[in-house]
Amino acid sequence: MTGGVWLLRRLVASVAIVFAVITFIFILIHLAPGKPCSENLDPRVCTLLTRQFGLDQPIAVQYWRYLVELAHGNLGMSFSLRRPVWDALVETVPFTLQLAGAALVFDFLLGLGLGIYQAARVNRLPDLVLGNATLFIYSLPTFWLAPILLLVFGEKLGWFPVGGASDPIFCPQVDSLYCVADRLWHLVLPATTLGVVGAAGTARFQRAAMLEVASQDYVRTARAKGVPERQIVLRHQLRNALLSFITRFGLAFPFLLTGAVLVETIFAWPGMGRLAFDAILTRDYPVVTASALIASTVVVAGNLLADILLGFADPRLRVHAAADADVVTA
Amino acid sequence: MLSAMLRRSAFSYYIVLTVATLGACERRGGCTTAGCGTLIDAAVVEPPTLLPPSTEDIVASDIAEQLFLKLADVGMSTNTVGDEDFQPLLAQRWEWDGPLTLVFHIDPRARWQDGQRVTAADVEFTFNAYNDSAVASPFRPKLQRIEKVTQRDSLTAVFRFREKYPEMFYDAVYHMRILPAHLLRSVPREQWRTAPFGRQPVGDGPYRFVRWQAAQSIELVADTTFFLGRPGIRRLIWRFTPSLPVAVQQVIADQADIREQLVTPDNVERAKAAKQLAIYPFRGNVYTFLSFNQRAPGDTSKPHPLFGDRDVRRALTMAVDRASLVKSTLGDLGQVPPGPISALVGIWAPDIRQLPYDTAQAARLLSLHGWRDHDGDGIRDKDGQPLAFHILVPSSSGLRKQYARLLQEQFRAIGVRAEIDELEGSVVAQRTGSGNYDTAILSRSNDPSPGSGITQSWTLAGFGGSNFGRYYNPEFERIVQRAISAPKRDQARTLWRYALETINADAPGIFLYALANVGAVHKRVENVQFRPDSWAALLRTWRIPPDRLIDRDRVER
Repeated sequence: MTGGVWLLRRLVASVAIVFAVITFIFILIHLAPGKPCSENLDPRVCTLLTRQFGLDQPIAVQYWRYLVELAHGNLGMSFSLRRPVWDALVETVPFTLQLAGAALVFDFLLGLGLGIYQAARVNRLPDLVLGNATLFIYSLPTFWLAPILLLVFGEKLGWFPVGGASDPIFCPQVDSLYCVADRLWHLVLPATTLGVVGAAGTARFQRAAMLEVASQDYVRTARAKGVPERQIVLRHQLRNALLSFITRFGLAFPFLLTGAVLVETIFAWPGMGRLAFDAILTRDYPVVTASALIASTVVVAGNLLADILLGFADPRLRVHAAADADVVTA
Repeated sequence: MLSAMLRRSAFSYYIVLTVATLGACERRGGCTTAGCGTLIDAAVVEPPTLLPPSTEDIVASDIAEQLFLKLADVGMSTNTVGDEDFQPLLAQRWEWDGPLTLVFHIDPRARWQDGQRVTAADVEFTFNAYNDSAVASPFRPKLQRIEKVTQRDSLTAVFRFREKYPEMFYDAVYHMRILPAHLLRSVPREQWRTAPFGRQPVGDGPYRFVRWQAAQSIELVADTTFFLGRPGIRRLIWRFTPSLPVAVQQVIADQADIREQLVTPDNVERAKAAKQLAIYPFRGNVYTFLSFNQRAPGDTSKPHPLFGDRDVRRALTMAVDRASLVKSTLGDLGQVPPGPISALVGIWAPDIRQLPYDTAQAARLLSLHGWRDHDGDGIRDKDGQPLAFHILVPSSSGLRKQYARLLQEQFRAIGVRAEIDELEGSVVAQRTGSGNYDTAILSRSNDPSPGSGITQSWTLAGFGGSNFGRYYNPEFERIVQRAISAPKRDQARTLWRYALETINADAPGIFLYALANVGAVHKRVENVQFRPDSWAALLRTWRIPPDRLIDRDRVER
């Protein structure tokens, strides 16, 4: 029951956060200088369009209209794409989820593996080499790494496609195993760009967490009892070090979504990040606000999921959460 | 358990690797005859709609060339005077019925791709739509001299003009693509910009619309029943890549076939080094200039404190070594324009009189007007006010940002301080459109006629429109009107020359560079012709010989 109250409280807070974000974004983007017209469009035509889009109304009126439409499930009409925002999001969000999902898998599988490997060989040569390598990769800016990967593996070696999400001739739609493979092939460079920097960070994080747990009494006890080293690492150290891993999982969502903006633009990946970036530049207010709505929902949901997972991984946290809920309800 | 999991993930890795390897292999298709072939264009902009009157987006225009026909089109000469150089398209023939009436006879073989005949009613409907303010077509100002379009019978459309002038035929045919009235009549005009028709068009051109993958590609397929002959290449794909360098990489890596504008000397060199690419230079249709705002920023009722003075503008123009700037930034890819025109326009002539590069004379002129360095800080001043201003430049344009810095240095050399404001394109548009700027580096594209571009950007007709700097000289207006109305080509040319020399002397802007276009196309394609005003206008005549087909040409779907 108390767990249910805690969850309900978190859900209400999540909705409030999302609402606050879209309100903030709505006001901010409308107050920003610029207008939704290209540089060479005749200002007279621009004025006509501005009127057609209702942008000549006071911002409070526009906001109220937006909320009324939102309550009816209508995200509005994109100025730059000339189509319903919902249609644009339905087409682009799955691409961002594919990219972010692949990057997340890459990030955590590689990062976790490296972190465990380094912790098991602490202060030995592999640990030192990998420690410096991960620090080097962690400090690589994505805007530099992405074009380099494109240049080397796309243009020069020709191993991977130079941008795009699929082969426009053979696989305009993913409707066969061949086209699934084609999508994965197109995913390699953008997902690597987005995931490799995160993996380096995860590895350093995980190594530190493993080493912290290694000095705990129960690990020493297990070792004194003659438990095999592999079992100590996997069962005692790793399980307890997973708490920080789950926290990092929750924090990874904002990183992946913001990183996706740049990566999608450079790799011509047709996702929501590229859509939002273009919308900001063209002052396409409905798309910007809708993207913020989706992004904030994903981030809040990711953090909620991480909190729930933490509760499962560490019963002590469930007790604290329940106690907090009792205090509030009392 | 974890080790089992790790083993499973390793297994999944091999599966993915195998499938990905499969994906890396191209499949062989079956089409092997003439008329096969697929061309992929690496485009950097995705159009918002394919409905012609609702957009002037360049990629939309390229695609619309394949879907919607004009009545007739300019030839390779891009001569816009008279009708002798025009090629028939939808109109089989035409004749003049008096000085102000032009009669078009529509080709009876022409069909919309849903099987309906193309009729004169479509032509009348199209003209009315382009002229409807609810459609907000950017082409509307270019049709103002046509009084009305009517239908004499189902295949005869009659254009009635308000006055006689040499480019009557050009105005009648160049700006409008004929639209299917039976499909668009029921769509409210104010909804045309967002009409579903714009994303799934039905045309009458050499290609049919197949699919639009948002943010990815648009695919067209040849209409084998096209009344002017089957196109030489079966499938055209515009693949959208938001970054020019990546678009160029796609062509170099043989993952696309066409990049119609390479833009920078570096890209041209890289494309030349790719053995599968052929390079096609053609005249550019864009010029770039530093616009002087002649009215006070944000208050058009007052003159600008600096640029309201013609001699200050002239002095600043003479302080810039435009030839050296073009050479150092663009090499052979650019030229100094002889006025506010691109190389596309037929009146281009390098010997048109311009203000010289003469820093000594520039300095003298400023001193003569009281702009001297009274306080010894290296910047000229007058009545305590320094000779300083801002240069507005869109942050998205690397070339224009580079030019802003070079101009800043050249102005500094004569004691003028220029500060650079690099802002987003939408902000630049807002500030220039509302007259809230000192100077701005702007680009303008021309159609082949000097009349419409110069009128919109440099005369009273452009106030509140594209004449951002509010340049006005009654003498210039008079000469432009005479040039537009001149009955003979030579006479028009002389008048245009005089008009350009007049505006150059007034220095409403510093005309910095006109880009030459260089395109890259895969060598397997034959009969490649880039018409300067529209590279894609003759795409239907390109072809790939059967012995040069590659895998992506042969694929059947």
